[in-house]
Amino acid sequence: MGKEMTEIRWGMVIDLDRCTGCGACVTACQAENNIALVEKDGIAQGRNLHWLRIERYWEGEFPHVRARFLPMLCQHCDDAPCEPVCPVYASYHNPEGLNGQVYNRCVGTRYCANNCPYAVRVFNFYNPNWPPPLEQQLSPDITVRSRGVMEKCSFCIQRIRRSKEDARLENRPLGDGDVEPACAQTCPPDAIVFGNLADPDSHVSRLARSPRRFRLFEDLGTEPSVIYLKGGGHEHPG
Amino acid sequence: MNTRVERYDAARMNRAMLSSMRPPTFRWYLLALVLGAVVAFGLYAFTVQATTGMGVTGINRPVMWGIYIISFVFWVGLSHSGTMVSAILRLSQASWRRPILRGAEAMTVFSIAVAGLFPLIHLGRNWIFYYLLPYPNQYGLWPNFRSPLLFDMVAINTYIIGSSIFLYIGLLPDLAVVRDLSSGWRKKFYGFLAMGWRGSAEQWRIFSRGSTLLACLIIPVAVSVHSIVAWDFAVTLVPGWHSTIFAPYFVIGAITSGVAAVITLMIVIRKLFKLEEFLLPLHFDNMAKLLLAVCLLWSYFYFAEVFTTWYAHKPIEWEIFSFMADRYGSIFFIMILGNTIVPIIGLCFRRVRRSQIALLVITLLINLAMFIERFLIVVPSLSHKNIPFIWGSYTPSWVEVAIGTAAFALFFLLYTLFAKFFPILAITDVREQEEALLGNQPLGRTQVKTLVNEE
Amino acid sequence: MEILGIFKTLEPAAGAINQLIAAGVAEDQITSLSSVPYPEGVLIPERRKPAFYLSTLVFGVFGALTGFALAAGTAWLYPLRTGDKPIISIFPVGLITYELMMLFAIIGTLIGMFWTMGLPDFKPRAYAAEISDGAIGILVTTGDEDELNRARATLIAAGAERLCTEEEEG
Repeated sequence: MGKEMTEIRWGMVIDLDRCTGCGACVTACQAENNIALVEKDGIAQGRNLHWLRIERYWEGEFPHVRARFLPMLCQHCDDAPCEPVCPVYASYHNPEGLNGQVYNRCVGTRYCANNCPYAVRVFNFYNPNWPPPLEQQLSPDITVRSRGVMEKCSFCIQRIRRSKEDARLENRPLGDGDVEPACAQTCPPDAIVFGNLADPDSHVSRLARSPRRFRLFEDLGTEPSVIYLKGGGHEHPG
Repeated sequence: MNTRVERYDAARMNRAMLSSMRPPTFRWYLLALVLGAVVAFGLYAFTVQATTGMGVTGINRPVMWGIYIISFVFWVGLSHSGTMVSAILRLSQASWRRPILRGAEAMTVFSIAVAGLFPLIHLGRNWIFYYLLPYPNQYGLWPNFRSPLLFDMVAINTYIIGSSIFLYIGLLPDLAVVRDLSSGWRKKFYGFLAMGWRGSAEQWRIFSRGSTLLACLIIPVAVSVHSIVAWDFAVTLVPGWHSTIFAPYFVIGAITSGVAAVITLMIVIRKLFKLEEFLLPLHFDNMAKLLLAVCLLWSYFYFAEVFTTWYAHKPIEWEIFSFMADRYGSIFFIMILGNTIVPIIGLCFRRVRRSQIALLVITLLINLAMFIERFLIVVPSLSHKNIPFIWGSYTPSWVEVAIGTAAFALFFLLYTLFAKFFPILAITDVREQEEALLGNQPLGRTQVKTLVNEE
Repeated sequence: MEILGIFKTLEPAAGAINQLIAAGVAEDQITSLSSVPYPEGVLIPERRKPAFYLSTLVFGVFGALTGFALAAGTAWLYPLRTGDKPIISIFPVGLITYELMMLFAIIGTLIGMFWTMGLPDFKPRAYAAEISDGAIGILVTTGDEDELNRARATLIAAGAERLCTEEEEG
């Protein structure tokens, strides 16, 4: 689409009251985006390639313990700290509000990963390897990244592009609900909602106006595009 | 007639100062071989990394920078030795600088050369490092000059070229001396490098003015280079890195590291090439006083950093320091011992300052402490970043240790080669001082005041 | 044409210069060759102010412009939004401009110094290897055959150890 003022600003709302921590979104993201597999010792070292992770925090003392789940993904910050530090412009901000990662430009300095306060960027330490028949499941819409390249959640930009093409072919504007990233599509309780924040009537905009809304690390001034809704019953302990 | 004139023998002084350039002995070959072997092993480790992937290192999420960046900062710091020491001493007219200059300037060039390798080594895709260079291409792509890493590239390049020029200009008259004292292919080689220098009065005048100008120019460059490296860390949102004190703190740390390294090298050279006549206890005494001053400054900056963090007690910032004390307590103690306690107490005593053994121990300890300091800046802050769920830790792998050690070996190898092929003392500088000490008398076509002995 | 007289110590060398001037050789055709510099006027007084500062300045300005072109120009040619930072911002552009200004100033100083020193100079010149071992050479450069012979005689009279010209190796 054109580079002029766009009416699209992609955003996501995650309702923590609905999130059960089941992890289906993590699996869906892995399947959709050709993410490489990591061995057990790699995971133990902290090298997992989860673009989306469920953070679990324990609250309280036994026997009144509660688990608290926070799906953490790239926040697509408006003032992203990862973008200015990339020496080769592999990380940049596209006009629709996405934080883009250009895989074939990345030289692997890993500066962006250091500067991300949410630590959502992952690095390919080895070349990807899918033992058969897992390579059958790779999506042709998205590249496979080589070793030495940074990657992260892209709000399923391949699905955004596909929906835009379909809309153009059918000569209609992009409607609310046309674009659904893998995680939003899969989430059983519909805790993840994705859409156009610039459209005040879209589902995601209406949810974003909830009094329960908050964003992570507001005080850092990163202006994330992912809005969380407070919940999980913590106001009623025990 | 002044008897000093009779005692002064330029030819003998020349040969004594050039003793390092005699034909290499078996010991020299052995040293070069050992150093070369370590470098070769490091090269092998790098090949393993370049072909297998960055997975062979200890890097993980969240600690995405490790030994390579630590080494990079350490070597850039060390490179502040020569040029800063040399430039500051030149401009302050400290006459005791003369025997030290050449060794210090050579140290600068080689340590910044070694430092410049690390940004290439630590890349995930080293083979496309040229994406970082601004060259016109058919895609219309340019690198991002807003990134601190590009500031790094420009600054390191400037410093490498600047300090090489500084070294070469200083070498010019000495190369002429070596040219005149050699024959055969050596005469041609040094004759080419000396560019036909004859030592005319005009040439000397331009030489001295030009050296002063270069010294004035290189000091701001040196300060800016290490400030830029400091800003690689300080401009981020990483707690413990985002601190305004980083740029001056790093510059002072660099000067500390550099002065200590110059003293170490002077001790080694003096012993190895029997230069006791030229490198006097006085020189070491004065350098040690300088070292004491910068150690005090470094300690002051570090104290300010920890104190303000402790007092404000912002949770995530204090977490970095308490994690560091917890997990890396022992090496933290070594750092404080080496950088603050031992130098500040030890260097107050004249006997320590004039003792070769004591100085060697103190300066080596300081550089060990400085390396630890770089480690403690990079790793704890990254380990316990903003999100507790992905807090981690870092252990270097054999590849990183091999390459880090190979860097040291490479530096010493380059220095050894330099000492063999080029004068390691500033010959004409030292002799100029001897000539100047020839008492108050009608000299030439004017009168010249006696230059007081700097003791 | 050059003629070089070698002197073992300073006083005879200085005396030779005085005698050459008395014999009518122009002052700016006489210079000293030595392996250490001597204080101002001991042998040859300063005749011209060094001019290589101009080279430093010119190259420095050129470097600043190059730095600005790199940082601001390439950003303007290839504008990609990164964070909330403007495409052309003052701090990065200022830093790169400063660094390249200093780099080119240093290179300019080297070039200026070489140019004014007359280096590189690989033509056959009058020179003697003893100069590096502490001898002082008094050099007379002239185009006039007579003046050359007068200089030769004066140098011998002043006590030169030996003479050489650009044809004979010192």
